[in-house]
Amino acid sequence: MVKTRLCELLGIEYPIIQGGMAWIADARLAAAVSNGGGLGLIAAMNADAEWVRNEIRKARELTDRPFGVNIMLLSPNAEAVAKVVAEERVKVVTTGAGNPAKYIRLWKEAGITVLPVVASAGLAKLVERAGADGVIAEGCEAGGHIGELTTMTLIPQVCDAVNIPVVAAGGIADGRGIAAALMLGACGVQVGTRFLVADECGIHENYKARVLKAKDIDTIVTGKRLGHPVRSLKSPFSRQLFSMEYDPNYSNEELERIASGSLKRAVEGDEKQGCFMAGQSAGLVKKAQPAAEIIKEMFGEAEKILGSAGQWIK
Amino acid sequence: MSTLSKVAELIAENAGVDAKEITMDTTFEELGLDSLDAVDLVMACEEQFSVTIEMDEALKTVGDVVRLIDSQKA
Repeated sequence: MVKTRLCELLGIEYPIIQGGMAWIADARLAAAVSNGGGLGLIAAMNADAEWVRNEIRKARELTDRPFGVNIMLLSPNAEAVAKVVAEERVKVVTTGAGNPAKYIRLWKEAGITVLPVVASAGLAKLVERAGADGVIAEGCEAGGHIGELTTMTLIPQVCDAVNIPVVAAGGIADGRGIAAALMLGACGVQVGTRFLVADECGIHENYKARVLKAKDIDTIVTGKRLGHPVRSLKSPFSRQLFSMEYDPNYSNEELERIASGSLKRAVEGDEKQGCFMAGQSAGLVKKAQPAAEIIKEMFGEAEKILGSAGQWIK
Repeated sequence: MSTLSKVAELIAENAGVDAKEITMDTTFEELGLDSLDAVDLVMACEEQFSVTIEMDEALKTVGDVVRLIDSQKA
Protein backbone atom coordinates (compact mmCIF):
# COMPACT_ATOMS: atom_id res chain seq x y z
CA MET A 1 0.00 0.00 0.00
CA VAL A 2 1.11 3.55 -0.69
CA LYS A 3 0.55 5.42 2.58
CA THR A 4 1.60 9.00 3.28
CA ARG A 5 0.86 11.67 5.85
CA LEU A 6 -1.90 12.97 3.58
CA CYS A 7 -3.90 9.80 4.36
CA GLU A 8 -3.79 10.62 8.08
CA LEU A 9 -4.38 14.34 7.59
CA LEU A 10 -7.55 13.78 5.55
CA GLY A 11 -8.70 10.43 6.92
CA ILE A 12 -8.50 8.73 3.52
CA GLU A 13 -7.22 5.40 2.25
CA TYR A 14 -5.30 6.53 -0.86
CA PRO A 15 -3.42 9.86 -0.96
CA ILE A 16 -5.40 11.26 -3.87
CA ILE A 17 -7.69 14.27 -4.16
CA GLN A 18 -10.09 14.76 -7.05
CA GLY A 19 -9.74 18.16 -8.69
CA GLY A 20 -12.37 20.81 -7.95
CA MET A 21 -13.45 21.19 -11.57
CA ALA A 22 -16.08 23.89 -12.06
CA TRP A 23 -19.42 22.72 -13.50
CA ILE A 24 -18.11 19.15 -13.30
CA ALA A 25 -17.19 18.24 -9.72
CA ASP A 26 -20.60 17.73 -8.09
CA ALA A 27 -21.88 15.66 -5.18
CA ARG A 28 -22.10 12.48 -7.24
CA LEU A 29 -18.51 12.54 -8.50
CA ALA A 30 -17.16 13.67 -5.12
CA ALA A 31 -18.97 10.87 -3.30
CA ALA A 32 -17.77 8.28 -5.81
CA VAL A 33 -14.14 9.33 -5.33
CA SER A 34 -14.51 9.36 -1.56
CA ASN A 35 -16.19 5.95 -1.63
CA GLY A 36 -13.24 4.76 -3.71
CA GLY A 37 -10.85 5.72 -0.91
CA GLY A 38 -9.71 9.14 -2.18
CA LEU A 39 -10.94 12.60 -1.31
CA GLY A 40 -13.77 13.82 -3.52
CA LEU A 41 -14.38 17.52 -4.00
CA ILE A 42 -17.45 19.56 -4.84
CA ALA A 43 -16.59 22.63 -6.91
CA ALA A 44 -18.36 25.72 -5.60
CA MET A 45 -17.23 27.74 -8.66
CA ASN A 46 -19.55 30.77 -9.14
CA ALA A 47 -22.55 29.00 -7.65
CA ASP A 48 -24.56 30.57 -4.87
CA ALA A 49 -24.18 29.40 -1.30
CA GLU A 50 -27.44 27.45 -1.15
CA TRP A 51 -26.49 25.36 -4.19
CA VAL A 52 -23.25 24.49 -2.41
CA ARG A 53 -25.11 23.60 0.79
CA ASN A 54 -27.41 21.30 -1.19
CA GLU A 55 -24.52 19.55 -2.90
CA ILE A 56 -22.80 19.03 0.46
CA ARG A 57 -25.97 17.44 1.83
CA LYS A 58 -26.41 15.33 -1.29
CA ALA A 59 -22.85 14.06 -0.97
CA ARG A 60 -23.49 13.18 2.67
CA GLU A 61 -26.34 10.95 1.53
CA LEU A 62 -24.05 9.21 -0.94
CA THR A 63 -21.02 8.64 1.28
CA ASP A 64 -20.04 8.38 4.93
CA ARG A 65 -16.45 9.16 4.07
CA PRO A 66 -14.74 12.56 4.14
CA PHE A 67 -15.04 14.87 1.14
CA GLY A 68 -14.26 18.51 0.50
CA VAL A 69 -15.36 21.67 -1.26
CA ASN A 70 -13.25 23.72 -3.66
CA ILE A 71 -13.86 27.45 -3.34
CA MET A 72 -13.02 29.77 -6.20
CA LEU A 73 -11.97 32.93 -4.41
CA LEU A 74 -12.84 35.22 -7.32
CA SER A 75 -16.46 34.09 -7.20
CA PRO A 76 -18.89 36.86 -6.26
CA ASN A 77 -20.33 34.34 -3.78
CA ALA A 78 -16.98 33.37 -2.22
CA GLU A 79 -17.74 34.97 1.13
CA ALA A 80 -21.18 33.36 1.46
CA VAL A 81 -19.82 29.97 0.38
CA ALA A 82 -16.95 30.32 2.88
CA LYS A 83 -19.57 30.63 5.62
CA VAL A 84 -21.65 27.69 4.37
CA VAL A 85 -18.73 25.26 4.40
CA ALA A 86 -17.97 26.33 7.97
CA GLU A 87 -21.61 25.87 9.01
CA GLU A 88 -21.75 22.48 7.32
CA ARG A 89 -18.36 21.54 8.79
CA VAL A 90 -17.07 19.85 5.67
CA LYS A 91 -13.87 17.91 6.22
CA VAL A 92 -11.67 19.76 3.74
CA VAL A 93 -11.65 23.04 1.85
CA THR A 94 -9.39 23.68 -1.12
CA THR A 95 -9.19 27.13 -2.65
CA GLY A 96 -8.30 28.46 -6.06
CA ALA A 97 -7.61 31.79 -7.73
CA GLY A 98 -5.99 33.73 -4.92
CA ASN A 99 -5.07 34.00 -1.28
CA PRO A 100 -7.62 32.60 1.20
CA ALA A 101 -5.90 34.06 4.29
CA LYS A 102 -8.93 36.04 5.45
CA TYR A 103 -11.12 32.92 5.67
CA ILE A 104 -8.66 30.50 7.23
CA ARG A 105 -9.51 31.34 10.85
CA LEU A 106 -13.21 30.81 10.28
CA TRP A 107 -12.53 27.43 8.70
CA LYS A 108 -10.04 26.30 11.34
CA GLU A 109 -12.59 27.11 14.04
CA ALA A 110 -15.03 24.82 12.25
CA GLY A 111 -12.44 22.03 12.31
CA ILE A 112 -11.86 22.18 8.55
CA THR A 113 -8.58 21.12 6.96
CA VAL A 114 -7.51 23.89 4.57
CA LEU A 115 -5.53 23.15 1.41
CA PRO A 116 -5.06 26.14 -0.91
CA VAL A 117 -4.06 25.50 -4.51
CA VAL A 118 -0.86 27.43 -5.26
CA ALA A 119 1.21 28.02 -8.37
CA SER A 120 4.36 29.45 -6.77
CA ALA A 121 6.62 28.92 -3.76
CA GLY A 122 5.90 32.47 -2.55
CA LEU A 123 2.15 31.91 -2.38
CA ALA A 124 2.75 28.57 -0.65
CA LYS A 125 4.78 30.34 2.04
CA LEU A 126 2.13 33.01 2.42
CA VAL A 127 -0.71 30.53 2.98
CA GLU A 128 1.44 28.42 5.32
CA ARG A 129 1.92 31.49 7.45
CA ALA A 130 -1.81 32.18 7.35
CA GLY A 131 -2.46 28.73 8.83
CA ALA A 132 -3.06 26.41 5.88
CA ASP A 133 -2.72 22.71 6.73
CA GLY A 134 -1.09 21.89 3.42
CA VAL A 135 -0.89 23.12 -0.14
CA ILE A 136 -1.84 21.72 -3.50
CA ALA A 137 0.92 22.82 -5.86
CA GLU A 138 -0.43 22.77 -9.38
CA GLY A 139 1.76 22.80 -12.47
CA CYS A 140 0.68 24.17 -15.82
CA GLU A 141 0.15 20.69 -17.29
CA ALA A 142 -3.21 20.85 -15.56
CA GLY A 143 -6.50 21.67 -17.26
CA GLY A 144 -8.53 24.79 -16.57
CA HIS A 145 -6.91 27.86 -15.00
CA ILE A 146 -3.17 27.43 -14.75
CA GLY A 147 0.07 29.09 -13.65
CA GLU A 148 3.44 29.23 -15.38
CA LEU A 149 5.57 26.55 -13.74
CA THR A 150 5.56 22.87 -14.61
CA THR A 151 4.81 20.24 -11.98
CA MET A 152 8.37 18.90 -12.30
CA THR A 153 9.89 22.23 -11.26
CA LEU A 154 7.15 23.59 -8.99
CA ILE A 155 6.78 20.66 -6.58
CA PRO A 156 10.39 20.47 -5.31
CA GLN A 157 10.59 24.26 -4.97
CA VAL A 158 7.35 24.41 -2.99
CA CYS A 159 8.55 21.48 -0.86
CA ASP A 160 11.72 23.44 -0.08
CA ALA A 161 9.72 26.56 0.77
CA VAL A 162 7.22 25.14 3.28
CA ASN A 163 7.02 22.61 6.10
CA ILE A 164 3.37 21.66 5.61
CA PRO A 165 2.37 18.72 3.36
CA VAL A 166 2.50 19.36 -0.38
CA VAL A 167 0.09 17.69 -2.80
CA ALA A 168 1.19 17.56 -6.45
CA ALA A 169 -1.25 18.44 -9.22
CA GLY A 170 -1.00 18.89 -12.95
CA GLY A 171 -0.17 16.16 -15.44
CA ILE A 172 -0.82 13.19 -13.17
CA ALA A 173 -3.12 10.52 -14.60
CA ASP A 174 -1.52 7.18 -13.80
CA GLY A 175 0.71 5.36 -11.33
CA ARG A 176 3.86 6.70 -12.93
CA GLY A 177 2.70 10.23 -12.18
CA ILE A 178 1.97 9.32 -8.57
CA ALA A 179 5.38 7.71 -8.13
CA ALA A 180 7.12 10.72 -9.67
CA ALA A 181 5.15 13.15 -7.49
CA LEU A 182 6.22 11.31 -4.35
CA MET A 183 9.84 11.37 -5.53
CA LEU A 184 9.60 15.14 -6.01
CA GLY A 185 8.64 15.45 -2.35
CA ALA A 186 4.85 15.53 -2.53
CA CYS A 187 2.81 13.40 -0.13
CA GLY A 188 -0.11 12.92 -2.47
CA VAL A 189 -1.66 13.90 -5.76
CA GLN A 190 -4.63 15.80 -7.08
CA VAL A 191 -6.11 14.44 -10.28
CA GLY A 192 -8.73 16.10 -12.45
CA THR A 193 -8.55 15.06 -16.08
CA ARG A 194 -8.69 11.31 -15.52
CA PHE A 195 -11.84 11.66 -13.42
CA LEU A 196 -13.55 13.43 -16.32
CA VAL A 197 -14.23 9.99 -17.79
CA ALA A 198 -15.25 8.38 -14.51
CA ASP A 199 -18.65 6.67 -14.83
CA GLU A 200 -19.96 8.88 -12.03
CA CYS A 201 -18.87 12.09 -13.77
CA GLY A 202 -21.95 13.76 -15.21
CA ILE A 203 -20.45 15.66 -18.16
CA HIS A 204 -21.88 15.11 -21.65
CA GLU A 205 -20.68 12.06 -23.62
CA ASN A 206 -19.22 14.42 -26.25
CA TYR A 207 -16.86 15.82 -23.61
CA LYS A 208 -15.80 12.34 -22.44
CA ALA A 209 -15.26 11.18 -26.02
CA ARG A 210 -12.96 14.14 -26.66
CA VAL A 211 -10.87 13.38 -23.57
CA LEU A 212 -10.58 9.70 -24.50
CA LYS A 213 -9.57 10.58 -28.05
CA ALA A 214 -7.02 13.25 -27.10
CA LYS A 215 -3.33 12.74 -27.85
CA ASP A 216 -0.35 14.32 -26.11
CA ILE A 217 -0.41 17.47 -28.28
CA ASP A 218 -4.15 18.04 -28.17
CA THR A 219 -4.40 20.79 -25.55
CA ILE A 220 -4.08 24.55 -26.05
CA VAL A 221 -3.74 27.51 -23.67
CA THR A 222 -6.02 30.49 -24.21
CA GLY A 223 -6.67 33.55 -22.06
CA LYS A 224 -3.03 34.62 -21.72
CA ARG A 225 -3.78 38.11 -23.00
CA LEU A 226 -6.48 38.48 -20.38
CA GLY A 227 -4.09 37.45 -17.62
CA HIS A 228 -5.81 34.19 -16.75
CA PRO A 229 -4.55 31.36 -18.94
CA VAL A 230 -6.80 28.35 -19.36
CA ARG A 231 -5.85 24.94 -20.77
CA SER A 232 -8.44 23.09 -22.79
CA LEU A 233 -8.66 20.55 -25.58
CA LYS A 234 -8.01 21.85 -29.07
CA SER A 235 -11.24 22.44 -30.95
CA PRO A 236 -12.35 24.89 -33.64
CA PHE A 237 -13.66 27.08 -30.79
CA SER A 238 -10.47 27.09 -28.71
CA ARG A 239 -8.27 27.54 -31.79
CA GLN A 240 -10.37 30.50 -32.88
CA LEU A 241 -10.17 32.03 -29.42
CA PHE A 242 -6.41 31.51 -29.47
CA SER A 243 -5.94 33.34 -32.77
CA MET A 244 -8.29 36.17 -31.75
CA GLU A 245 -5.99 36.92 -28.83
CA TYR A 246 -3.30 37.90 -31.31
CA ASP A 247 -5.70 40.03 -33.30
CA PRO A 248 -5.77 43.64 -32.07
CA ASN A 249 -9.17 44.11 -33.72
CA TYR A 250 -10.73 42.17 -30.86
CA SER A 251 -11.00 43.96 -27.53
CA ASN A 252 -10.38 42.22 -24.22
CA GLU A 253 -14.07 42.65 -23.45
CA GLU A 254 -15.02 40.79 -26.61
CA LEU A 255 -12.61 37.98 -25.78
CA GLU A 256 -14.06 37.73 -22.27
CA ARG A 257 -17.57 37.67 -23.67
CA ILE A 258 -16.79 34.85 -26.10
CA ALA A 259 -14.98 32.74 -23.49
CA SER A 260 -17.57 33.32 -20.81
CA GLY A 261 -19.84 30.34 -20.26
CA SER A 262 -17.86 28.18 -22.68
CA LEU A 263 -16.95 25.54 -20.06
CA LYS A 264 -20.58 25.14 -19.08
CA ARG A 265 -21.47 24.73 -22.75
CA ALA A 266 -18.80 22.01 -23.06
CA VAL A 267 -20.21 20.18 -20.04
CA GLU A 268 -23.58 20.25 -21.81
CA GLY A 269 -21.98 18.81 -24.94
CA ASP A 270 -21.90 21.92 -27.19
CA GLU A 271 -19.26 20.91 -29.75
CA LYS A 272 -19.29 24.29 -31.50
CA GLN A 273 -19.10 26.84 -28.67
CA GLY A 274 -17.84 24.70 -25.80
CA CYS A 275 -14.41 24.98 -24.17
CA PHE A 276 -13.49 21.43 -23.18
CA MET A 277 -11.06 21.99 -20.35
CA ALA A 278 -8.56 19.19 -19.75
CA GLY A 279 -4.92 18.79 -18.83
CA GLN A 280 -2.01 17.56 -20.89
CA SER A 281 -2.54 14.18 -19.28
CA ALA A 282 -5.67 13.70 -21.43
CA GLY A 283 -3.44 11.70 -23.78
CA LEU A 284 -2.88 9.21 -20.96
CA VAL A 285 -6.59 8.71 -20.33
CA LYS A 286 -7.65 5.64 -22.29
CA LYS A 287 -10.90 4.30 -20.91
CA ALA A 288 -14.02 5.13 -18.97
CA GLN A 289 -14.13 3.42 -15.56
CA PRO A 290 -15.80 3.82 -12.20
CA ALA A 291 -13.92 6.33 -10.01
CA ALA A 292 -13.01 3.65 -7.47
CA GLU A 293 -11.43 1.52 -10.19
CA ILE A 294 -9.40 4.48 -11.47
CA ILE A 295 -7.97 5.06 -7.99
CA LYS A 296 -7.19 1.40 -7.40
CA GLU A 297 -5.53 1.01 -10.76
CA MET A 298 -3.39 4.14 -10.35
CA PHE A 299 -2.13 3.12 -6.93
CA GLY A 300 -1.53 -0.47 -8.04
CA GLU A 301 0.77 0.88 -10.74
CA ALA A 302 2.46 3.33 -8.37
CA GLU A 303 3.15 0.60 -5.85
CA LYS A 304 4.78 -1.57 -8.49
CA ILE A 305 6.99 1.24 -9.74
CA LEU A 306 8.01 2.41 -6.29
CA GLY A 307 8.63 -1.18 -5.22
CA SER A 308 11.14 -1.72 -7.98
CA ALA A 309 12.89 1.63 -7.57
CA GLY A 310 15.81 -0.14 -5.89
CA GLN A 311 16.93 -1.37 -9.30
CA TRP A 312 18.38 2.07 -10.03
CA ILE A 313 20.81 1.91 -7.14
CA LYS A 314 23.93 -0.09 -7.93
CA MET B 1 17.16 56.34 2.97
CA SER B 2 13.38 56.54 2.69
CA THR B 3 11.15 53.48 2.72
CA LEU B 4 10.17 54.22 -0.86
CA SER B 5 13.71 54.19 -2.13
CA LYS B 6 14.46 50.94 -0.29
CA VAL B 7 11.29 49.31 -1.68
CA ALA B 8 12.10 50.70 -5.12
CA GLU B 9 15.53 49.13 -4.92
CA LEU B 10 14.03 45.77 -3.97
CA ILE B 11 11.66 45.98 -6.90
CA ALA B 12 14.43 47.05 -9.25
CA GLU B 13 16.47 44.06 -8.17
CA ASN B 14 13.61 41.60 -8.61
CA ALA B 15 11.77 42.98 -11.60
CA GLY B 16 14.74 44.31 -13.54
CA VAL B 17 13.44 47.87 -13.82
CA ASP B 18 15.11 51.21 -13.06
CA ALA B 19 14.62 52.12 -9.40
CA LYS B 20 14.59 55.84 -10.30
CA GLU B 21 11.43 55.41 -12.31
CA ILE B 22 9.45 53.97 -9.41
CA THR B 23 7.16 56.36 -7.53
CA MET B 24 4.48 55.91 -4.87
CA ASP B 25 1.88 55.85 -7.63
CA THR B 26 3.54 53.15 -9.73
CA THR B 27 1.21 50.15 -9.93
CA PHE B 28 2.32 46.52 -9.90
CA GLU B 29 0.62 46.23 -13.25
CA GLU B 30 2.78 48.99 -14.75
CA LEU B 31 5.83 47.17 -13.48
CA GLY B 32 4.65 44.06 -15.31
CA LEU B 33 4.19 42.18 -12.03
CA ASP B 34 1.40 39.62 -11.87
CA SER B 35 -0.27 38.52 -8.66
CA LEU B 36 2.37 35.86 -7.93
CA ASP B 37 5.20 38.38 -8.49
CA ALA B 38 3.41 40.73 -6.09
CA VAL B 39 3.33 37.99 -3.42
CA ASP B 40 7.09 37.50 -3.73
CA LEU B 41 7.72 41.24 -3.62
CA VAL B 42 5.62 41.68 -0.50
CA MET B 43 7.42 38.80 1.19
CA ALA B 44 10.79 40.27 0.30
CA CYS B 45 9.67 43.57 1.87
CA GLU B 46 8.57 41.74 5.02
CA GLU B 47 11.99 40.18 5.36
CA GLN B 48 13.85 43.41 4.71
CA PHE B 49 11.78 45.57 7.06
CA SER B 50 10.79 42.92 9.64
CA VAL B 51 7.08 43.72 9.28
CA THR B 52 4.00 41.66 8.45
CA ILE B 53 2.02 42.75 5.44
CA GLU B 54 -1.41 41.28 4.85
CA MET B 55 -1.58 40.47 1.19
CA ASP B 56 -4.89 41.36 -0.39
CA GLU B 57 -6.47 42.75 -3.52
CA ALA B 58 -6.29 46.29 -2.12
CA LEU B 59 -2.52 46.29 -2.64
CA LYS B 60 -2.15 47.81 -6.08
CA THR B 61 0.63 50.37 -5.97
CA VAL B 62 4.14 50.64 -4.58
CA GLY B 63 2.77 53.37 -2.29
CA ASP B 64 0.26 50.91 -0.77
CA VAL B 65 3.15 48.71 0.34
CA VAL B 66 5.32 51.63 1.51
CA ARG B 67 2.49 53.06 3.64
CA LEU B 68 1.87 49.65 5.25
CA ILE B 69 5.55 49.30 6.11
CA ASP B 70 5.74 52.83 7.54
CA SER B 71 2.60 52.36 9.62
CA GLN B 72 4.13 49.30 11.26
CA LYS B 73 7.54 50.83 11.80
CA ALA B 74 6.07 53.92 13.45
